[in-house]
Amino acid sequence: MTDRSTGLARVGEIYSNRSQRARELKAQGKKIIGYPCVYVPLEMLTALGLVPYQTCGDMKEPVTEADRALPGSFCPVMRSCLDCALKNKNNFLDGMVTIHSCDPQEKTCRVWESYTNYPYFHFIDMPISVRPEALEYFRNQLGDLKKTLEAFTGKKLSVDALEAAIKSHNRQRTLVKELYELTKPSPPRISGTEMVQVLKALVSLPVEEGNDLLTECISEVKNRTAGPQKKAARLLIWSSTLDDTDVVQVLEDKANVVMNESCGGIRAYRAAVKFTSDPLKSLADYYLNEITCARTFRQATLGETKKDYARDLQSRFGYLKGVVKQWNINGAILLLVRYCDPFAFEMPSLRDYFESLGVPSTYIEYNYTVGALAPLRTRVEAFLETIG
Amino acid sequence: MVMEKEKKTINRLKTMHPLRAKVNETYLRSVEAIQAGKPAVWGMLNFYYGDPILKAMDIEVVYPENYGAIAAAMGVAQQYLERADAEGFPTHLCGYSLTTLGYASRMMKELNGEIPPEAPLGGMPKPLFLMSSAAICDARYKWFQSLGRYMNVPVWPLEAPIPGIKEFFIEGYYENMVKLGVKHLRDFVAFVEKMVGRKMDWDKLDKTTDLMIEVNRVWHEVNELRKARPCPMHSRDFWSAMPAALFLAGDLEDSLKLYQDMYDEVKERVDNHVGAIDDEKYRMVFAELPPWHSLGFFNKLADRGWNFVIESFGYHPPIPMDLSNVSDPLERITRFSLQFLVGYYEDARKQNVTGGTSAYPYLKYAKEWRCDGALLHPLITCRSASTHLPYVADMLMERLKVPSLSIEGDIVDLRLFNPEEALDRAEPFEESMEHYRKIRKQEGFDW
Repeated sequence: MTDRSTGLARVGEIYSNRSQRARELKAQGKKIIGYPCVYVPLEMLTALGLVPYQTCGDMKEPVTEADRALPGSFCPVMRSCLDCALKNKNNFLDGMVTIHSCDPQEKTCRVWESYTNYPYFHFIDMPISVRPEALEYFRNQLGDLKKTLEAFTGKKLSVDALEAAIKSHNRQRTLVKELYELTKPSPPRISGTEMVQVLKALVSLPVEEGNDLLTECISEVKNRTAGPQKKAARLLIWSSTLDDTDVVQVLEDKANVVMNESCGGIRAYRAAVKFTSDPLKSLADYYLNEITCARTFRQATLGETKKDYARDLQSRFGYLKGVVKQWNINGAILLLVRYCDPFAFEMPSLRDYFESLGVPSTYIEYNYTVGALAPLRTRVEAFLETIG
Repeated sequence: MVMEKEKKTINRLKTMHPLRAKVNETYLRSVEAIQAGKPAVWGMLNFYYGDPILKAMDIEVVYPENYGAIAAAMGVAQQYLERADAEGFPTHLCGYSLTTLGYASRMMKELNGEIPPEAPLGGMPKPLFLMSSAAICDARYKWFQSLGRYMNVPVWPLEAPIPGIKEFFIEGYYENMVKLGVKHLRDFVAFVEKMVGRKMDWDKLDKTTDLMIEVNRVWHEVNELRKARPCPMHSRDFWSAMPAALFLAGDLEDSLKLYQDMYDEVKERVDNHVGAIDDEKYRMVFAELPPWHSLGFFNKLADRGWNFVIESFGYHPPIPMDLSNVSDPLERITRFSLQFLVGYYEDARKQNVTGGTSAYPYLKYAKEWRCDGALLHPLITCRSASTHLPYVADMLMERLKVPSLSIEGDIVDLRLFNPEEALDRAEPFEESMEHYRKIRKQEGFDW
């Protein structure tokens, strides 16, 4: 990274060499903590002066090392993440915080901890429901994370520091949403491919640096004259992970991807942490309740003794209704990473929901490799023809 | 499917048969219950959290995952799999779940809620509610949520903590899990009371809980006897007998008596040096779920002297613990359920097997049951029962010099398991087991 570049140019540099800034910070004496999933409460790391760094997969890198630790019929994203770790691509990390956000995360974290030797490693258990006792349990899990982080850093995690970190991360959430406002016009002011680059840059930087970068990007995008071209369709992509530009470029070849509903998109930024007298409870509430991943069991009424399918769909997917309207979506692609069970179970029901909104949708599966791009292109083109 | 005529190479336990019959009995009772206007529920294997509560309230429970295995073994699963595929469920999902989803689609869309006529064992009647579980895998709660597409039936998702091995020893950690479990189960009781319009009989729950714990203690002791050489009880008897302890199938007092009978029969075999197969050449551990549709495969391995002496961690009872001083039955249930996983944690920590939530038990099994080899059965559509298997193989070799043979298959789709090909690999694996037997002796192991 050079001092000369700013905004989207800098984003492009970071996207091409994600770990460079983390390595620089490491050389300056900072401790870098990896995390594989957006459910890890980054605020707690930031508040202790640690630098969070998302350990992503790399679909261009053939999985070889992870083959000895995970079976082939397993989440290819987690296989790829672990493969990168076993190939020492994350050798600058001082530790990892992992979480039971889904079964592959939980299973991979066990193996990850066994086959690597970071000075610090913590696993957070996470309940599946949003019931009050589940929330309390999750809050206590964060309390346990606090204990091990304090022991690792030799520092106390003060309420003031945590609240300041929450403010910084909330600011980032606000800025990402502001950037997403710029995909509302037709044509959008920023492409889906650029958005993926921006969001991947954010998970490679300390939060304040990310906020500065976002501010630059927003200003640049608002003021530039050359943006994406208007295309035939305005697509919403719903996926577990969509964090690679090669995939988005296939999707955007003949359409505008204006909303990326995945962990490489808006999912971790839609809501904000609410301040209460107990910041850990605030964080637990945000991460358990507000992130709309399929892994969380939601229902129309907690403990309901009657069930209504339409209300059930609304409780699980209702957040998409406003998106469809505000972003003027006219097609939805449900992009399933193979072997992702929480998302795979949602496919028929989510298609029912999109149908109820009058939005045509399709379900496409891929295996997080470059070899999957050609068939993906064929499937996308076929779908675009049907919604013509 | 082709049902092979079984050879009698495995000396099956007589006392296994009445325990195995409890599964059939459960399905018939659920159908009879519905016909008599009583509630029946579909449950997910929940590792003892919810079952005693339903049992104490006289609610019949059937387990679609168990039914998936039955449908596969009886050759009717394929039509349900195809139906689930047509409904838009990805084919790589859990085979049990796809069977249930196809079954529910047929029952509700084509038959207006009537049990499909081709369904084996009388079928699964439309439930009053669904009891899902977070234990072990995501499918256990997502699949029941997906059934809402076919049935407007409420779902209760049972929480089931899965702690890290190192983290479990943080001060207060265990008690926070207990707190979650007790509060959660209290709310579950209230939910069930509303659903059936009756109050819980707490004395009955107290007694049911004690019986559940005692049944599993005796069942644990039966399996301890299998450490004997030759091993008196084969894995096939384990799988046949387990539902009464694991799912609490049938009457618990009767089950307790049957497990005690089994203990007596196995003990008699131990005392008289009678093995489950005639010539025990190789003592084997099996992981995880067996090929239900092709269990005759084990007879052919028995012909070669392979005795399966221990198996399937996820189906084994918790390591016994004293809960006699815990007065609240919900707390006893919670602690007992947690013990299923955390009962192994102290040893796992001591041996620094931090990745071993479900892998460490196999180290213990191989060591204490003196195993020569492990047969691993990774499943195409059950990631949770497969993910840790490469790690298990690594640990068994690294720590104990016990080799593993991995044979892919599936729990439902019999096309994915090739017994002939698997048998072709038996002889070379025997050479490997012989080799590592020598290595273990050289390195000071005592088997």
